[in-house]
Amino acid sequence: MSVINFKLRNQVIKHNASLSYCYQCSTCSGGCPVALLTQGKYNPRKIIEMAILGLQNKLIKEPNSSIWLCSTCQKCVELCPQKVELTEIFTLLKNKIFEDGKVPEAFLLQGQAILDSGIAIPYSKAIISRREKLGLPEIKTAPIKEIKLLLKETNFENKILKGSK
Amino acid sequence: MSYDIFLGCVIPARLPFLEASGRKVFEKLGIKLNDIEGFSCCPDPTGIEQIDHKTWLTMGARNLSLSKRGNGSIISFCSGCVETLKGVNYFMNKDNKVKDEINKILKKIGKNYDGKTNVKHFAEVLYENLNKVKENIVKPLEGFKVAIHYGCHYLRPSEIINWDDPFDPITIDEIIKTLGAESIDYDLKMECCGNPVEKSDMDLSLLMIDNKFKSIQQSGANCVALVCPACFQQFDFKQRELNKKNNSNYKIPIFYLSELVALAFGYKPEELGLKFHRVQPKTLLESLQFSAKI
Repeated sequence: MSVINFKLRNQVIKHNASLSYCYQCSTCSGGCPVALLTQGKYNPRKIIEMAILGLQNKLIKEPNSSIWLCSTCQKCVELCPQKVELTEIFTLLKNKIFEDGKVPEAFLLQGQAILDSGIAIPYSKAIISRREKLGLPEIKTAPIKEIKLLLKETNFENKILKGSK
Repeated sequence: MSYDIFLGCVIPARLPFLEASGRKVFEKLGIKLNDIEGFSCCPDPTGIEQIDHKTWLTMGARNLSLSKRGNGSIISFCSGCVETLKGVNYFMNKDNKVKDEINKILKKIGKNYDGKTNVKHFAEVLYENLNKVKENIVKPLEGFKVAIHYGCHYLRPSEIINWDDPFDPITIDEIIKTLGAESIDYDLKMECCGNPVEKSDMDLSLLMIDNKFKSIQQSGANCVALVCPACFQQFDFKQRELNKKNNSNYKIPIFYLSELVALAFGYKPEELGLKFHRVQPKTLLESLQFSAKI
């Protein structure tokens, strides 16, 4: 059942006031490459409508939410005649889903790599030797202690743990 | 002129040959790239930003605070890193509350970021130095019929990237033409390659790149040029996967813009590590009289 939750709607508007400019013209969905290829399973206009109504269950609680199909190509943002910042709003909603612990595994794996090493792709032995052969310098990345401290402050570590359960 | 080079993760740790061509090109142009110690992941605007905006801002601001700011600030070979670093600047400078909040976190590691590190994409710097590029060409890229893929994050959101037209860009076309190559128009030139949706739907991601390949094949282009390592992986790695899945027969050589510039500057394919491409450009290079001992 769809329950209207104005608290969620107000949170989104407080974060990004452009949500309230939307008049549901659907220019976003018309220009969206993913909407076209998924026959509307992913539909940015509809996600914005759900955010305006504050449909928390559909947006945040539902597993496999279509919102993850956004390719972040940002076409909708450029095309919107009302200057609704769709991608920013979707980012906020996805952040809320992450807090709730339900994101596609690939995002968690990337997050875990950042927690472990501060970089998304660790340097393998093969790559280090390939770098040498190509005459490339050794890369000194961030001290992991610093990164761990920051990620504790932003509560990222706990959120990754929650999602991995 | 000098810049601090921000390499990110994908290029140095998975596609180092792209870094090799980039470094060679800028050395030839007399633009110094300073290696700075201590950068982390930018972090990924299609990954970490999507799950935790605050972590994305914090790590991005930490990276930006490390720039020594020579006369050119930060340059990156990666469109994702550029989007993140420009985006972090945008959000921090738009709202002092955000800047204060992030700096409060950075204070824990003894750092502070004032929001003033300038960030540029390497193609932006090449475009600004087009005359210098021209002067260094010793082997014009005659016969290269290039399907350019700009990629989304090189252009959009235009309010943050603030560079070229978000739907009708010209900069990479101009660079390609300057090299003596031909830019071939194709129907899906401005479409997304589909790499970011691989994290949630691999079939959709493959469908998006398959459509691009079909459009490129119809156009008569003989290779692709692009400026983003995520796009590079999507274009270079997924051809074999698609051929297996759909019985197609894609063999389209994929070049990083810096590789094409380096070839025009007279570097040999083997110096650039072109053999590390999954789709070997050897046949094309030989047919165009570029020695290809790769």
